[in-house]
Amino acid sequence: MKGKYHIIVQNNRLRYELDIRRNITIIRGDSATGKTTLFNLLEQAFTLGESSGVDVLCERPCRTLGGRDWNLVLPNLHDQILFLDEESRFIKSREFARAVKASNNYFVIITREDLPNLPYAVDEIYGIHTSGRYRDMKRTYNELYRIYSTEEFTGKQRVEKVIVEDSHSGYEFFQSVCAENDIACTSAGGKSNLKDAVSKQDKPVLIIADGAAIGSEMNELYQLMRCKPAVKCYLPESFEWLVLKSGVIDGKVIQDILEHPEDFIESQEYISWERFFTALLVEYTQDSYLRYNKSKLNEAYLQGRVKQAILTAVEGVNWGKRSI
Amino acid sequence: MLKILFGEAEHEIYHPPTYFDNRYEDEWITDSLTVEMIKDIDKSEVIGTHLIQSPVLGPISTKEISGGVKTLILMAFDESGRIFNASACGDNCAKWIVEIGKRKDLTINLHHVMDFHEVPDFEALILNTGVTVHSYEEYLEEAVKIKER
Repeated sequence: MKGKYHIIVQNNRLRYELDIRRNITIIRGDSATGKTTLFNLLEQAFTLGESSGVDVLCERPCRTLGGRDWNLVLPNLHDQILFLDEESRFIKSREFARAVKASNNYFVIITREDLPNLPYAVDEIYGIHTSGRYRDMKRTYNELYRIYSTEEFTGKQRVEKVIVEDSHSGYEFFQSVCAENDIACTSAGGKSNLKDAVSKQDKPVLIIADGAAIGSEMNELYQLMRCKPAVKCYLPESFEWLVLKSGVIDGKVIQDILEHPEDFIESQEYISWERFFTALLVEYTQDSYLRYNKSKLNEAYLQGRVKQAILTAVEGVNWGKRSI
Repeated sequence: MLKILFGEAEHEIYHPPTYFDNRYEDEWITDSLTVEMIKDIDKSEVIGTHLIQSPVLGPISTKEISGGVKTLILMAFDESGRIFNASACGDNCAKWIVEIGKRKDLTINLHHVMDFHEVPDFEALILNTGVTVHSYEEYLEEAVKIKER
């Protein structure tokens, strides 16, 4: 499934509005914000349809998924938006992760657990807040907000050390940039090692990681960063996304895709967006001097104009006074 | 004292709100601690054992209070020896978990690292490592080292 979907769920007293645009969306946050109520309304609407008194308005069918037989039900569902509540213990299982990867549905999961088996994006972790009364003043209006905003992570101070999640091309690129600017640069060797790396830092450090799949690390990383204000994060979708965004690959098509990737990324083919951006970059550079290889960086990406364009695409990072 | 176990626990109730609906006792609801927790977390008033006044939903039954408050009530009053999964509670419940831990020996388990940073005088025994932490910073440092969730 691909695309962005606007969902309205309402009864006489409550109205929820959500925009869902990736295969995995997480809803969490404080107690008493209406997460379970939203799920219960969807459950009632699915079970009883119109006679439930709940309106569910969306281009795609929306339903709940849960219970002991979820694994029998899921293979029969296609192109739907499925809501799962925190009572569903199976959401953290490898079996569920495999089922999500094989599915062409979108999943909206209400949970505070990190779910490391699922590659979800930092941008798709939401809380629910009440934004006031709806027109008739009888109905309370609820909507989603992003729990982790980019502004909180980046800073203006000069970077003294960079830790890159990746150990391949992305790391090689930033390692080269850092070397020219007398900045130490190391690879964490995977997203699950970032916490360890952060907890040992006291100097200004910049973490660079793929925002498209870092979701499961964010709760703990965010708390660690709050205790260590010198640690900042830069979370582009992925290094490949950054290259595409930089404009070094000509083409209106690419810029069009980057403006609304959800309309181009088939969720069953790409479990997370960074895989799509890698495939796109490989495809668009295969016959050029910028031929991209994820496991080993093509030297052309480290040369003058190309390197400068990629660095310009990096927002909110102070690399220091030396010109790059 | 508050004792925290990260990961699965023997006798764990993974989804305390469901357990609450089937096992709560009427007198728990009108206890002053419950009244205060419902007011703070749900912004609602306890009218009686079976009636809560919610500013959003209007008059509701006890079974319609938030999952977080249901879990807190179980932590405070249930004597069955079960361990309640505190990951059913939002961070706005953290101070109440600590408060209940001051009133009784309370063991909880967590499937995520709960954020206790707004709780003053935080102290807990981390059962996975046997370390007693005396601040949120010590708790976080200890928690991220533990693999179980």
